Amino acid sequence: MRILLVEDTHDVGEAIARRFEATGHAVDWETNGRDAAEIIDFTEYALIILDVMLPGMDGFEILKRIRKSGNAVPVLILTARSEIDDRVGALDLGADDYLVKPFDFRELEARARVLMRRHTGGEATNLIKCGDIAVDRGTRSVHVGKREVQLKRRELTLLEVLVGRPGRVFSKDELLDQIFGFDEAANANAIELYIGRLRKKLEGAKAHIVTVRGLGYQLVPGDAP
Amino acid sequence: MIRICFALLVAGFTAAQALAAESNKTLFPAVQPDAGTLTIYSTTDLVAIKPLIEDFQKSSPDVSIDYNEYLTNELNALASEACRKQEPLGDLLLSSSVDQLLKLANDGCAAAHTSPETLRVAEWANWRDEVFGFTYEPAVFVYNRSKVPPAEVPRTHVELADLLRERLDYYRGRVGTYDIRLSGIGYLLAFNDARQTTTVFGRLLESMARASAVARCCTGEILEEVAKGNLYIGYNMLGSYAYDAAQRHPELGVVVPRDYTLVLSRGALIPKGAQRADLGARFLDYLLSERGQSVARTNAFYFTESGELPPGVDGPQNLKESGVAQPIRIGPALLAVQDRAQRQRFIEDWSQSLIELNSPAWTRE
Amino acid sequence: MRPEALQHGPSLFGRLARRISFVLFIGAALLVSAAWYYAETAANKAYDRLLVGAALQMAESLSVEDGILTARLPTSAFELLGLADRDRIFYRVIDTHGQTLTGYDDLKTPTPLERAQDPLSVEEGVYKGEPVRIAHATRILADPAVSGRAYVIVAQTNEARLALTRELTLRATILVFIMSLLAFAGAMLAIRYALQPVEQLGTEVRGRDPHDLTPVTVDVPRELDPFVSSINHFMGRLNERVDLLQRFIADAAHQIRTPLTALTAQIDLLGTGKLDKAGRQHFNRVKERTSELSRLTNQLLSHAMVIHRADSVQLEPISLVDVARRAYRVAIPVTVDPDIVISFEAPDDRPLVLGDAVSLREAIVNVIDNALRHGTDQRLEVRVRASGTQAFVEVEDDGPGIPPESWEKATQRFATSKSREGSSGLGFAIAQEVANAHGGTLSFRARDERGFTVVLSLPLYRGVAK
Repeated sequence: MRILLVEDTHDVGEAIARRFEATGHAVDWETNGRDAAEIIDFTEYALIILDVMLPGMDGFEILKRIRKSGNAVPVLILTARSEIDDRVGALDLGADDYLVKPFDFRELEARARVLMRRHTGGEATNLIKCGDIAVDRGTRSVHVGKREVQLKRRELTLLEVLVGRPGRVFSKDELLDQIFGFDEAANANAIELYIGRLRKKLEGAKAHIVTVRGLGYQLVPGDAP
Repeated sequence: MIRICFALLVAGFTAAQALAAESNKTLFPAVQPDAGTLTIYSTTDLVAIKPLIEDFQKSSPDVSIDYNEYLTNELNALASEACRKQEPLGDLLLSSSVDQLLKLANDGCAAAHTSPETLRVAEWANWRDEVFGFTYEPAVFVYNRSKVPPAEVPRTHVELADLLRERLDYYRGRVGTYDIRLSGIGYLLAFNDARQTTTVFGRLLESMARASAVARCCTGEILEEVAKGNLYIGYNMLGSYAYDAAQRHPELGVVVPRDYTLVLSRGALIPKGAQRADLGARFLDYLLSERGQSVARTNAFYFTESGELPPGVDGPQNLKESGVAQPIRIGPALLAVQDRAQRQRFIEDWSQSLIELNSPAWTRE
Repeated sequence: MRPEALQHGPSLFGRLARRISFVLFIGAALLVSAAWYYAETAANKAYDRLLVGAALQMAESLSVEDGILTARLPTSAFELLGLADRDRIFYRVIDTHGQTLTGYDDLKTPTPLERAQDPLSVEEGVYKGEPVRIAHATRILADPAVSGRAYVIVAQTNEARLALTRELTLRATILVFIMSLLAFAGAMLAIRYALQPVEQLGTEVRGRDPHDLTPVTVDVPRELDPFVSSINHFMGRLNERVDLLQRFIADAAHQIRTPLTALTAQIDLLGTGKLDKAGRQHFNRVKERTSELSRLTNQLLSHAMVIHRADSVQLEPISLVDVARRAYRVAIPVTVDPDIVISFEAPDDRPLVLGDAVSLREAIVNVIDNALRHGTDQRLEVRVRASGTQAFVEVEDDGPGIPPESWEKATQRFATSKSREGSSGLGFAIAQEVANAHGGTLSFRARDERGFTVVLSLPLYRGVAK
């Protein structure tokens, strides 16, 4: 996917670009704010990674321009600034996420992935429920009762599958296909791992995942133990 | 005919004191254990003061009272001398001659005393809280009912003067009054008579002189003689004594003059530096108190400032309301009365008018 | 910026009141003294007339009868003197030969009569140990029998004079007192009125938001202008300082973070592929140290930021749930260990607190971050709840927790127990700083079977959100 990186510090820009290129993305790297702003006007990106302090035009200005023109491209802001004088945060200006420098590069990569997937997924905001478990596909948040539980991407996908058709028994293979797709190599043990984690994270919920021996797993909304 | 009562001409004070102390001393011992002796020097007759002293001892049973009675001039002489020597005379002085007490106070011989009782005293009867008037005694006429026919009873000073002039022969030698040379009260009353209206006093004095009025030292003597019928009329008698005598001798009549009536208030004074000034003050308070005044009214002095005249006294219904009462104010004006030149000449004038006119009678005796 | 309890000096009003009452007191004392003097003079004049009148009357009463000088002292003279009803009266009449005719033989005028210039005189004197006023009148007799000067001396004690003097003085004193009171009350009102602008200025300055460093604009009398401009000058300087500090922190943030980011970027680029075992060990150590440095830098800057914001940012009603959720998102990295159960629980209503969202977020982020790094084993729960007048953000983890004896130390900068190696220790300090700036507290709840909890409590805001 095509990513625009706007970062004037060479060392940093290089590292980011390399990381994303290594995972098969095309990275356009700009060091000047004004140039970047122009490029955005006529190029479509899957993600824009934007530094705040830039020569030419600062990151917030660019962000404002993007949003003003109605462009919904996910924007991840990198900031070295202290929020000491920030009356308005990056998120308020329409950024989808932000990271404060110095950051962990794996974290940057992970967040970027989340943003890109969310964007391409393009799912409408909808809520699916099973018993006291609610999954918001839009915000990708999961509630157990009042409690909002943090789930990893695959755990969430797994839960979505199960919640989507409560009561139905999914086989391990079925779930493998749904979660990892065909291109990723994974085995049935991975499913057991995820089911285990999911159970742990849904602890306290009335709805629960039941193991049907030899067949697979099902989500039961009821009050059975 | 004039007979002067030369009772005691003060020749030497010490001698007089010694003599008086023996003859006129009365002791009222305390009923209860003695808290002290109150020494009173007084001109008031023992009979008059006795009920008061006895009543006082009911409320203060621990006080003995040494009561010494003198004539006014004697008392004055003793007190002046004592004051000059700074040896206070007794603890309380009572005198009908308030002018003398006033002079003593003016000379600094009195101690001031204030108490709730002294506040009750009329303003005219209190000087400097040192001299207090504790009685109310009109100067009255007395007459013998059997000798003076009712129609002739004089009710004013002028009537008296006229009566003596009209019935000169009948009343010759039958009118008695104080000898002002001997009696302080006599002098005080005469002086004030003179101040009232000189014409009336002049006429009266002249009439009395012509009627060969007799002068006596003391009220008692005149009253006695009037009661006996030796004298027919007594002039300027102290109301209290007169009324007291009238009660004992029904033939005595008492007249409170209707033109003006001099009112004398017996004075009380606590000598400065008195040994038992506290007891003196106690007795003084008693005299001025409601109780003391009431006892005085019933037993000794009979007349009061605001009340009616005692029964049987001929006079205006109420002295104060009728306006005839002329209280002799206890104040500095009395100093004029006490002025020695004044006194000397007044007495000379008086003697000339009253006595020298009668010198034939004087020589006759 | 909150001042220590101000030492109150004497108030301007008190000082003026004291001075004025002092002046009034002196004035009143002078007036009363003057009143006494005048009253005494007046009383003396009044009673001296009586005295002289009496003396003249007595002198007038002298006459020669039969060749002898006689005195018929008129009672009216005594009555005249008797108008001073408590005073003792002494008199003496001296004939042409200097012999006492009547009265008190030892009464003398202070100035011997032979030397007296005037036929009449009034003097102060003492008689019988009493202070008296002594008057004398002279009568010149030209009778063939008696000729020469006869004298009348009249003395009177001073009681009536003193009484009159006292009464007059008392009345004057009452008047002076009333006037002084009125003057004092008037002066106090005037001072109050005059000091009103000072009060207003005080109220304005006091009522100001501590973060408002704009110039004071109150209408004050000319006299206060220097004061106001000093305040404004001071405010201006303070504002500059605040700005400067802000710029400094912002610059420092940028200037440190950028190279630090570059450093981490380079380490990231380096990778581990080409390294032998020892090299990998060194590489990992460098990586660890760099991330520690990053974290410390962030915390230091964060700390500076919250301190600065506490002084310069106005508090607003904000939803604690929103702030906490945002902090929760920021603090939990996407790359967190998937085996940890992490949850966020918020109440149905949205408790509001008066606060600075950025600082509060920073505080909560630090608490969560701390829990994540040092506490959490399998579970981390963030809860927002409200109860009574307080709102709480609770961060609970299933780790070993901090023993109660170390709680106090935990909130101190860089003070961490040895067991929590590697902690930079500023997290709790920041959170506590923020809590205090918001009128709240940071506390710990001892570990129970569920876990150890850090509680940030803040007073609930009762108004309506903007």
